[in-house]
Amino acid sequence: MPIALLKFPTDLLREVFQQCDPFELYKLSKCSKRIQKSIRSGGTKNWKLIFRGNLVIVSVDGLHYNFDVTENPDEYFKTENPRGYENYITIPFDDNFDAFLDLLDTFRIRIVEYLRIEFGSFEQFSKLARGLIERNIEIEEVLIESTPQVKKVDKLMTLLTQMNTTQKFKCLKKFPPKFRHQMDKFPKNILIYSSFWFTIDQLLESTCVRIELHGSMLKNQDIDLFFQKWKRSGSFPNLRWLEIFSKNIDDKSPILGMIPPIENYGNRSIS
Amino acid sequence: MSSTEQGTSSAAPAEPTTAPESAAAPEVPESFYYVHGKDKVVHKVSAGALQHSALIHGMISNLGYTEEQAKANPFPFENIDGDILQMVVDWCNQHKGKPTPPEDTNLPKQKEKLFDLVLAVNYLEIKELLTYCCKQVAMMVKGKSPEEIREIWMIPTDAEDEAAEKEAKKRAGKEAAGETAAAAGDAK
Repeated sequence: MPIALLKFPTDLLREVFQQCDPFELYKLSKCSKRIQKSIRSGGTKNWKLIFRGNLVIVSVDGLHYNFDVTENPDEYFKTENPRGYENYITIPFDDNFDAFLDLLDTFRIRIVEYLRIEFGSFEQFSKLARGLIERNIEIEEVLIESTPQVKKVDKLMTLLTQMNTTQKFKCLKKFPPKFRHQMDKFPKNILIYSSFWFTIDQLLESTCVRIELHGSMLKNQDIDLFFQKWKRSGSFPNLRWLEIFSKNIDDKSPILGMIPPIENYGNRSIS
Repeated sequence: MSSTEQGTSSAAPAEPTTAPESAAAPEVPESFYYVHGKDKVVHKVSAGALQHSALIHGMISNLGYTEEQAKANPFPFENIDGDILQMVVDWCNQHKGKPTPPEDTNLPKQKEKLFDLVLAVNYLEIKELLTYCCKQVAMMVKGKSPEEIREIWMIPTDAEDEAAEKEAKKRAGKEAAGETAAAAGDAK
């Protein structure tokens, strides 16, 4: 028995939309421009979006709805899961990047739970990053993988660090030797695998809870300067963990009056 | 405070209770109100059952009607079909004084009445029943393709929407032209 849904008043329509899961609501949005407008004007959703490169996932109270793309009309909106995913659907798009932005707009999502930079061109990632910056979307966690597909990481970094990343920024990709970058905004946690460009000035400006710098160029004097400041009351109130791997840390000059390696001071050590 | 708590003078005598704890606190006599839909069939409903409806609860909370006054002044809901109102009244009676469980087997299931039921429940502001009904509506398209959804929910295509919009504009234009001509005629 059909129901003329669009004859419902707006508040009732919204109530029905509230009861739809992401798959049904997305398919509904593709029925007509009018219904799509109606869904998009239904206010922001507290759903979160995840970009895994090969999949776009809508996270609803911890339950994941996996969206995959296809250009084959015979496979549009199929829920069979050839890759073994549960809660899976294929949607008509050329690539996951456009699908991601479309899902973001259709559901008026304001938070991206996880953004994984792994497969795709620089142009695609740039478009994605610009889309997130323009929409002022909060990104909880960003991961830049070390795969060969991730190109022009130096240019990409400039865009990615302009995003509103709040929880974690993790970069496993190596930067070209001449790369220089100034991080202005800091999420709670940063882990940079190739951090030679991360200067003592940036470290002194950081507001993180946890910092892990691998491949650093920081020296004993830098660490000493930082620790002297950290010791002062009110400095780095958020910082709980600092891990620096640098070949420039040696046993030639003191850090806090001690010559490295410094060990067995409670559970902390500098070696 | 609800009418039940205020205790209208003509309320039905309290049922004797067997539970020892309720024996200590005498039960407040229940008051009743009357509603009717489009078919004019009057339903007698307790104030406790009517509390589910924010609209009716708001109407009765300060009335202080006697039984006779309530009977003589049933609330008319002319925009609601009789059988739909009956469904709503039944549901309110079944859930008097208790919240709706997440999976409520007592809820109306007639799909052909769902559209009218949703409108009635929305009008009467029965939040829990509305949520359930909207869930029922949403379930109608579970696992369906966009084409099937369009049919089930009678969603016009973009072309149909555009044609309807053109038609509406044309009609509005004709009406405006008619009004202008009439005004010119009046001026003469």
